[in-house]
Amino acid sequence: MSRQTSGHSACAHEQDIVDLVVGGRLDERDDTLRAHAAECRACAETLELARLLHDDHKALCEGAPVPSAGAVWWRATIRARAEAARTAGQPITLLQGIAAATAIGLFVALVGAWWRSLAPDGIWLERFDELLSRSASVPVPLVLSLLLVLAACLIVAPIAVYLATADDR
Amino acid sequence: MREVTLSELSRLDAAAGEADEVFQMDEDAFRLFYERTARPVWAYLARMTGDARQADDLLQEAYYRLLRAKTTYDTDAHRRNYLFRIATNLVHDMRRRRHVDAVPISDELEHADPRQSDAATHAARRVDLSRAMARLKPRERELLWLAYAQGSSHQEIAATLRLKTSSIKALLFRARQRLATVLRERES
Repeated sequence: MSRQTSGHSACAHEQDIVDLVVGGRLDERDDTLRAHAAECRACAETLELARLLHDDHKALCEGAPVPSAGAVWWRATIRARAEAARTAGQPITLLQGIAAATAIGLFVALVGAWWRSLAPDGIWLERFDELLSRSASVPVPLVLSLLLVLAACLIVAPIAVYLATADDR
Repeated sequence: MREVTLSELSRLDAAAGEADEVFQMDEDAFRLFYERTARPVWAYLARMTGDARQADDLLQEAYYRLLRAKTTYDTDAHRRNYLFRIATNLVHDMRRRRHVDAVPISDELEHADPRQSDAATHAARRVDLSRAMARLKPRERELLWLAYAQGSSHQEIAATLRLKTSSIKALLFRARQRLATVLRERES
């Protein structure tokens, strides 16, 4: 029984009213609850709102444009496979990145070693002018080809790394 | 649209078995569960987002997350509650990403035949309800829908919304009063 028969207090029968509506037993004769709802404002309010919401729920469910279970399962499978493939590809991408970085580092180290060989005392900055003059003695096509290879590596390496990793993004 | 390369296809095939293993149920069990739950979940999503297209997208996402979840379910009811929890979280996430308030999705009044007064009245009441629901807080909408539209128990609501069972009664009472007030305002 309700503590107060007003819309501002809860009633112990509210859940029974909701069960009646949701269970579709509202049309059945249940004089006790009906009589109670007629007197109790909390239960009357519950009855009205539960009917309204449950009717809305029924109408929405009847008209719900849900896809078939097979379609949902198929999409989920495809997505799971794609995610699994992406996850499996991640270590490869990482290795490719490390390999590219190592290659670039090795190349730079070799160029550095070659450069130092031109100035073995290690004070090449001070002898820059001298180096320039000495490099003038190196055949121009060789210097040009080395510079072209270096430039090509610097341009191509980031593109290669990008292409290697782009598929997995 | 990017074309799929042969290496990607072979990778997908290789991962197929792996993908099937990560699902928590087989296809037959899923079909049975889906047939029982898809419409109520769609109705819930549609009323919480106020957007039928959003409900379509979120429905697919909710089932995908359910299939991928590592949770073990004691009963079918437990799985169902978990599905509604996922649906609730998806709606919350969507609301956080861009401000979405529930707006009436219904065009019932447009489709209702005015000569059929019962149908027109029914449609008008549903439009009133959806507009009133749009003025409630998301939590109030969820509580009212789960309790009165679906008839979920307080324990089920608490499990779905991650609330204490003991607090459901009071929260539901306040939500009901809010809805009744908003509906009365609309009527007057």
